[in-house]
Amino acid sequence: MSQHYPALLVTVPLLSALLISILGWLSRRLCFPVAVAALCVALFSSVGLLFRVLNEDVVHYFLGGWAPPWGIAYRVDRLSAMVLVVVSAVALINLIATRRSVEREFPEKIGAFYTLYVLLITGLMGIVVTGDAFNLYVLLEITALTGYGLIAMGEDRAPLASLNYVYMGTIGACFYLLGVGYLYISTGSLNMADISAILPSLYGSRVVLVAFIICMVGVFLKMGFFPLHAWLPNAYTYAPSAVSSLVAPLMTKVMIYVMIRLILTVFTPTFTFSRLALNHSVVWLAVIAIFMGAVLALGARDMKRMLSYVIIAEVGYMVGGAWLGNRAGMTGAILHIANDAVMTLCVFLAVGNVVYRTGGYAFEDLKGMFRKMPYTMTGLVAGGLSMIGVPPTCGFFSKWYLISGGVQAGQYGFVAALVFSSLINAVLFFRIIEIGYYEPFGSDHGHGPAPAPMEEAPLSMVVPLLVVVVGLVVMGAYTGDIVSGIIAPMIP
Amino acid sequence: MRTLGILVAALTCALLFYAMGDFPPWADPGSAAHTHVSPRYIEKTMEETSVPNAVTAVLADYRGFDTMFETTVIFAAGVVCFFILRLPKKEGPIFRRYRHTLTGMTIRVKCTRKIPPVLEEFEMIDNLWAPHDLIIKTSCRILVPFLQLFGLYVIAHGHHSPGGGFQGGVILGASMILLAISHDLRTALARMGEKVHALLCPIGVLIYAGTGALCLVLGRDFLDYGALAGILHVDPVTARSHGILIVEIGVGLAVMATMIWIYNNISSRGEYDEGL
Repeated sequence: MSQHYPALLVTVPLLSALLISILGWLSRRLCFPVAVAALCVALFSSVGLLFRVLNEDVVHYFLGGWAPPWGIAYRVDRLSAMVLVVVSAVALINLIATRRSVEREFPEKIGAFYTLYVLLITGLMGIVVTGDAFNLYVLLEITALTGYGLIAMGEDRAPLASLNYVYMGTIGACFYLLGVGYLYISTGSLNMADISAILPSLYGSRVVLVAFIICMVGVFLKMGFFPLHAWLPNAYTYAPSAVSSLVAPLMTKVMIYVMIRLILTVFTPTFTFSRLALNHSVVWLAVIAIFMGAVLALGARDMKRMLSYVIIAEVGYMVGGAWLGNRAGMTGAILHIANDAVMTLCVFLAVGNVVYRTGGYAFEDLKGMFRKMPYTMTGLVAGGLSMIGVPPTCGFFSKWYLISGGVQAGQYGFVAALVFSSLINAVLFFRIIEIGYYEPFGSDHGHGPAPAPMEEAPLSMVVPLLVVVVGLVVMGAYTGDIVSGIIAPMIP
Repeated sequence: MRTLGILVAALTCALLFYAMGDFPPWADPGSAAHTHVSPRYIEKTMEETSVPNAVTAVLADYRGFDTMFETTVIFAAGVVCFFILRLPKKEGPIFRRYRHTLTGMTIRVKCTRKIPPVLEEFEMIDNLWAPHDLIIKTSCRILVPFLQLFGLYVIAHGHHSPGGGFQGGVILGASMILLAISHDLRTALARMGEKVHALLCPIGVLIYAGTGALCLVLGRDFLDYGALAGILHVDPVTARSHGILIVEIGVGLAVMATMIWIYNNISSRGEYDEGL
């Protein structure tokens, strides 16, 4: 069975999504267990694949039995195996944690919701595992389409935010497709490994250069990188909380994986960093992204919007790190994909719990929260500490690599931006702690109304959150192993 | 903002023109796209898959995995439309107006939310009601079966001529939509209810993905139709041709059901009562 892991981790969720869609009309109670089972299989195969890759280096799987470049091949290396584990684990934890809020928000459409949820994960897993540039585009479409639908079901201005996302996301996907088309014109192949074998003789070609630029712009749009980030805050803020905590940790991170995959595998770093003197400009854009994200987060009046801007800054971290053009920066960027996914999940799950109990996510709703929901707030603070970069949480380690990469490359603007953004994050999260812990202020020395009783979110929401908190520290503790075992062999 | 937009568009345009300089010449037989993978598709399709139409072979066999996900995209579009637009059934009584076709008298009836059966002598009137048009109704009704027959032909004949699951499915879906437009949604729903097309949609994709999974269960790679040879009692190459036909049928079902599903949701604003 183990030789089929690459196929299983995509096709089992796909088949389950179809099954859930059918069950949605027959027996709604079964939708959730099927979704959990599907993601468990996906997680199991990803972990199995990770262990195989650690032994065998690269695992190939030919779909339809056709060898590349004629057919579509899956190609799993250490980087993709790591991202696969992260994606499936985050999706599974979020699925279990948000069960209650989904049941409350979509009582009539549970089948459709879980269908789209599992399809979204199918798309993300497929993007990570594929070794075919066009197959990546098709899965990108699935991911985007299901994402639009899920986001549009949020509150307030969610449909408008989703529509905006549709426009921007479609343009991004088109750019990527156009880039793949240009690559096909010049190489005649769609397989990533095959393209990168043909490309060195074509490095001088203008078509390849433009293909590279267009692909990158498309991917930048999809991940919400600085001048192209406008769709992101509204989409993530107004989405239902179960969806926010799914797309916020995964979508942008997977797109950063795609960028790194294009740089490392398809175009190779020599081409990326020497053919064009673009890397400095991209790093400077990343610097602006980090500054902008930090400042706008400071101006936000509710938690979800604040966290969305923090994500924009985090995207800046990773893009900047990858484009520094040295090993430390790339290591930091790859490590940050995993770490950022986990800590974003942590904070969004905590916010989801608050929304479940209070119905709002504005800062005012946090008053007295430490007394009311102590465990949830512990989770929020732990996630916040990781985003600030406090050891022993994992956020510290990836930031350390990014900063040392910046120093090595002599990009002190990038280093300054990272430090600035960490300070801003500290302000942001300590403000939340202040509101949650000290407000409402006792007006007349403790003679006010009795403090609100403890009203924690249900156990099924708190336990996954605490698991993620433990994960933050565990990932921090194993950083050395992750870097030496998985990331270091990936960077030429 | 507007100037900025024009500037960005002009810049993109310039970039694309810049790349065009290095394109291979128009219809150059020596260009990479014509010399790398295409020759095998063109020369070997018949002996490897026994499908005369190379496009179908590439679509459903060499790159069949992409097509499976394209079908899934269509399925996802249907589910998204349902998810966003479909309104929960409202409770409580409702007033409906009926017109007695023989006398032209209109009556107002208090009834439940359930869509009433079509009555011979009465027709339901609401603010979208238009006097029925005998010519349009009759000609469309005559057209529908021929459309459906042609749709089936296009699906089945994809091996030999342009066509296949996507095109045939669209024609089949359009036939039902034509019925809904020329009559009303109730007439179309009486022939194919919401549950039927909402179930056909995943079942169509399931036929495709299930065929792939069957190949995996039978010991070959996912979607390697050669594995079906034992079940179909043919040689592995002919099994590929049959496998393609099976998945084309799946695609046709999924596309047809999704077209109808999306049309119904949009035209009735998610209420599934009257339609346009």
